Amino acid sequence: MTGAAAANQPVPLLAVRDLRVYFSPAGQDGPPVRAVDAVSFDLADGAALGIVGETASGKTSIARALLGLHPPGSTRGSIRLTGQELVDLLEEEWRPIRWRRVAMAAQSSGSAFDPLYRLGEQIAEPLRAHLGLAGREAQERVEALARRVGLEPRHLRAYPHQLSGGEKQRAMLAMALCCGPELLVLDEPTSGQDVLSRARLIDLLDQIRQESGAGLLLISHDLAAVARLTGRVAVLYAGKLVEVGPTAAVLAHPRHPYTWGLLNAYPNMTTARDLRGIRGRLPDPADPPPGCRFHPRCTQAVERCRHEEPPLALAGDRLVACHLGGLQTLLRADGLRKVFSGHGRPGPEEERVEAVREASLELLEGEVVALVGETGSGKTTLGRLLVGLLQADGGRVVFEGQDLAAASGRQRKALQRRIQLVAQDPFDAVSPRLTVAEIVREPLDVQKVGPAAEREEKVRRALQAVGLPVDPAFLTRRAHELSGGQLQRVAIARALVLDPKLIVADEPVSMLDASEQAKLINLLKEIQNERGMGLLLISHDLALVRKVADRIVVMRDGEIVEEGLAGRVVAQPRHPYTRALLEAAPAFAWEDVEERDEGGVILEKQSVIPAQAGIHPE
Amino acid sequence: MQRRILSYLLTLWIVLTVNFLLPRLLPGDPLAALLDPQSSDYVFDAEARAALEAYYGLDRPLPEQYGRYLLGAFTGDLGRSIRLNRPVGELIGAHLPWTLLLTGTALFLASLLALLGGTEAAWRRGSWRDRVLVTAGVVAGNAPVYFVGMMLLILFGAWLGWLPLAGGRTPFAHYDTPLAAAADVGRHLLLPALTLTLALVGAKFLLVRSSVVSVLSEDFMLVLRAKGLSEGRLKWAHALRNALLPFVAHLAAHASMAITGAVFIEALFNYPGMGRLIFEAVGARDYPLIQGVFLVVSTVVLTANLLADWLNARLDPRLRAEQ
Ligand code: SF4
Repeated sequence: MTGAAAANQPVPLLAVRDLRVYFSPAGQDGPPVRAVDAVSFDLADGAALGIVGETASGKTSIARALLGLHPPGSTRGSIRLTGQELVDLLEEEWRPIRWRRVAMAAQSSGSAFDPLYRLGEQIAEPLRAHLGLAGREAQERVEALARRVGLEPRHLRAYPHQLSGGEKQRAMLAMALCCGPELLVLDEPTSGQDVLSRARLIDLLDQIRQESGAGLLLISHDLAAVARLTGRVAVLYAGKLVEVGPTAAVLAHPRHPYTWGLLNAYPNMTTARDLRGIRGRLPDPADPPPGCRFHPRCTQAVERCRHEEPPLALAGDRLVACHLGGLQTLLRADGLRKVFSGHGRPGPEEERVEAVREASLELLEGEVVALVGETGSGKTTLGRLLVGLLQADGGRVVFEGQDLAAASGRQRKALQRRIQLVAQDPFDAVSPRLTVAEIVREPLDVQKVGPAAEREEKVRRALQAVGLPVDPAFLTRRAHELSGGQLQRVAIARALVLDPKLIVADEPVSMLDASEQAKLINLLKEIQNERGMGLLLISHDLALVRKVADRIVVMRDGEIVEEGLAGRVVAQPRHPYTRALLEAAPAFAWEDVEERDEGGVILEKQSVIPAQAGIHPE
Repeated sequence: MQRRILSYLLTLWIVLTVNFLLPRLLPGDPLAALLDPQSSDYVFDAEARAALEAYYGLDRPLPEQYGRYLLGAFTGDLGRSIRLNRPVGELIGAHLPWTLLLTGTALFLASLLALLGGTEAAWRRGSWRDRVLVTAGVVAGNAPVYFVGMMLLILFGAWLGWLPLAGGRTPFAHYDTPLAAAADVGRHLLLPALTLTLALVGAKFLLVRSSVVSVLSEDFMLVLRAKGLSEGRLKWAHALRNALLPFVAHLAAHASMAITGAVFIEALFNYPGMGRLIFEAVGARDYPLIQGVFLVVSTVVLTANLLADWLNARLDPRLRAEQ
């Protein structure tokens, strides 16, 4: 903030500029590791800011910097508390600021208390140190604080090991509030709590936030807490801010690919979805990738991302650090129309069938969209329009910014490499006389990709990706010798072999039995996640696709009737037709529950046995 | 605590039994040799021989010997010393207080120094002060006791002449006041106690330092710092307070180290404690005395163990809950 700006603007409670936190690496030598890199943000009086990011993204380092807890000299940049510079204060100068003005409820409250003292004594400690309160006065104050966070006097007499995690979490909160701080830093206040106590804790925090009037900095990966408690949110990736904006807007419409991935990986009770994290892993802070730190995991990275760091730039209502300005739309369809004239078929309206009527659809980078509808809803026609197998009678399809219809011959050929279709019935799609190797290699031959050896290699890798053997015996099998599941896998491998950006899969599993269906749909999702492709899943089976879809688009009679995030559509369907689809979906057969525990995040019960559904193809 | 006391009693019984069986199982039966005129260990003094026969009762069946031995141990009858021709219980009664005084003083001083120094060093770990203290601790912990004692003796006793060379107090002295007596005992105690303190302080210091260092890396220390507490409170009321637990747990081991060290130091300073008694007893193969001393020393170490356990349970609320 410049001097001139400061003069006519109120001084914010907290102004952080270009904050950097360095660590000496474990092995002593080598350059210091930058855990936090050039982070800037403001926090107004009584406002609440959320900082979200994965573990080891630098969140906790920011919290500690605000209390001067890093070794001297390792924090650089500027931290101003109501105008007072805090960076480089001496330990004695920090003391009156700590807890009196900036208090923290630390992560891992399990080990945040000295095991040898009663909780009451530990909560009272800052009272004596900062306010000179002792004896009865301190006692009364501590009891009042305890009541406020829902603890009883007996909890205060207990030692840390005698209390549950939730009780300690509350005690930590009471302790943080004891001196009436101006700024309250909450570092993962809800971590390690079960769902119920988490919800109660969030309620409590919300209440405290409103009552205390303190500025709140909530550092968390708990998006539910952030959504509830904060007005603004900053997303941290590998020590750098990648997106900053109003919480509601950022969570509803993430702009940075990382924010989007984070939201998609967030467990949500209303989605019966299998979680899959962002592909790849958080970079080693000692050796962050050059350019955009997210580029090895980004599905839309371009050459520039590899060597040039994107600045945090203003884009509409928020700041985003991305060369492309944020998440790109991979495929967009605007007002698509398709009319078939029924040859020789008598009927009204001059034997015309409007298969697709004014359909608009969007698919983001790396997104899985499920297009759901009954047979005859026009979903297959729409899929064919999208991949360019059919000519639209109106509207247009834009893929990676290029109008499909307007593409020249060469461009069209290039585009065909990037969009692949997996058809419903693989027996239709491939000649039964071809061998496995020939089927998968064919697109490479057509596109004339590289020398023969390279093609063989690509074929092998594609087959491995779909979990098929690559021994000569299998490669020389003919299509008609394969089972339905195997053939569909071969068809997927054939689609993958060109490394497409988007796969449109039309009922890819409907010919298979139930358990094979679940396996294959999971495989598709896995491949999609790993390769960072877009996936448009066309299906009649809402129960099946909601396990993998990020968004669901519902189609009926050639029209799109509902569209939304998978969790929302499943939990609160808006259109009656969607409701009908959901009701007709396979009933849960609890005898056959399949329990799945994805990294300890969600426990999902989902039957894979379709009951007598009302909606079925043919 | 009850379980502790039970296991204490059990250990005590094992010690008693081993003490009973050991000489009887040794090759050549050393006890019988004492009464065998053909043996080189034969006790010529008829009165002493009678006392030995009465105490050991080697001609009786083993269970009866064992029963009489246990009864004697509990009533303080530990037999009669062959060489000094006095009851073993009386001899130990005269020497034990000196050893307790010496080891107690040294343990107290060494603990105090180790706790203060160890905490300071850990607090400033990596600084030059820490490095100096660690080096000093390692050197003190490894220096031969005998050599250190000798140097002190030469320096303060012989050369400077400030302190007495030997003994527990001035022989044949007559004191006007109890204070004068205490001063005399203190002057005699100073050098041996200092030597023993130096022998003990190194290991204790390193233990305290490493315990405090590990406490300092705990999450709760960070929270306490964030609370803006004073350095003194962080250091003493929290860091050291937590490090006291491992320290106390090692107290019994240190007590037995102190007693072993005391044996050498008492010999060097001609201090009238158990150490001298042990040397004399071993030199003369005075079996009743050896057994008695062994029994008493084991009991002292075991009791120190029990005390340390009890103290730790007092200090750690988590252990208190278990009981
Ligand atoms: S598009 Fe480039 S700059 Fe934007 S997030 Fe992806 S890698 Fe980073």
